[in-house]
Amino acid sequence: MTVEEQVREIVARITRVDPNIITRESTFKDIKADSLDIVQALVAVEERFEIEIPDEEAQKFQNFGDFVSYVEGKAGQKEMV
Amino acid sequence: MTVPLEGKLALVTGGGRDIGKAIALKLASQGADIVVNFFRHRDAAQQTAKEIETLGVKAELVRANVGDPAKIQEMFDMIGSKFGHLDIFINNAASGVGRPIMDLDTKAWEWTMDINARALLLCTQRAAKLMDGRGGKVVSISSLGSRFVLPNYTIVGVSKAALEALTRYLAIELAPQDICVNAVAASAVETDALKFYFKEGLVKDSHQITPAGRMVLPEDIANVVAFLCSEEAFMIRGQTIVIDGGTSVGPFTHVEMENNEEV
Repeated sequence: MTVEEQVREIVARITRVDPNIITRESTFKDIKADSLDIVQALVAVEERFEIEIPDEEAQKFQNFGDFVSYVEGKAGQKEMV
Repeated sequence: MTVPLEGKLALVTGGGRDIGKAIALKLASQGADIVVNFFRHRDAAQQTAKEIETLGVKAELVRANVGDPAKIQEMFDMIGSKFGHLDIFINNAASGVGRPIMDLDTKAWEWTMDINARALLLCTQRAAKLMDGRGGKVVSISSLGSRFVLPNYTIVGVSKAALEALTRYLAIELAPQDICVNAVAASAVETDALKFYFKEGLVKDSHQITPAGRMVLPEDIANVVAFLCSEEAFMIRGQTIVIDGGTSVGPFTHVEMENNEEV
């Protein structure tokens, strides 16, 4: 599974939506995620990829694509180390 | 300058910001080395650690979600292996979901209760072992929402009521080990969390209805917590000290009466 597929699966599970409706352009509002859903998705992704996503960074995400790009960057850095 | 806590080690959960930061700095100013626990805000925690170190004591950062039992164990494993003891545990980290009762679900309930109430139990179980043979202090941060109703505050209020009840039970069971367990309950404190939950209305109202004439500040909480961590407070056990500038005992003092003449 790619990073994007894994993040999509986690977000879909936590927000209880069909993963197929989540595109890179989807906002958290589009998939009706509340603030607790968002925090829990961040925590689950952090644990899956063993990375850290501070709130200061997460607040900059405009949509699912931004979230995925950030995780790809962090997970990529980790592999290089 | 008095350094009553010199040589002591304190863990402050949620110690990077707001009330936790004020407490961490207060205890550091009294000579304690501080373990600053944080979860979502590393930058703030790093800044707090720097400020602690400028006071001439050690600061150690540890990231952990105190709602996760495994992370609590990892945090205390680190403290145990690095320091081998603990003198003060400040149970400050809190979270919550502000919603009307009809919109609450089990996910919101569990998230809030796990962080605000269960963490006190799980952390104190580990802290007490690190305090064994030397005594210790445990102080939790509660809120007036444990006993008074605030809008959309149900789960947090209930979690704080559980926290205060647990404080009483811990105080009695841990008394033979010379561990003093107490809590403080504040009214609205001027913090980022408050602005997040209530926007401006509550802040404005609180200025007007607080008999003491201003809102409670994080430093007001830190001062009382520091007292509860001192030997002078040794005989205070299982209590929740209210810090609200008189709001809860004089809730109507801001109301202008139409006829103040004697009957």
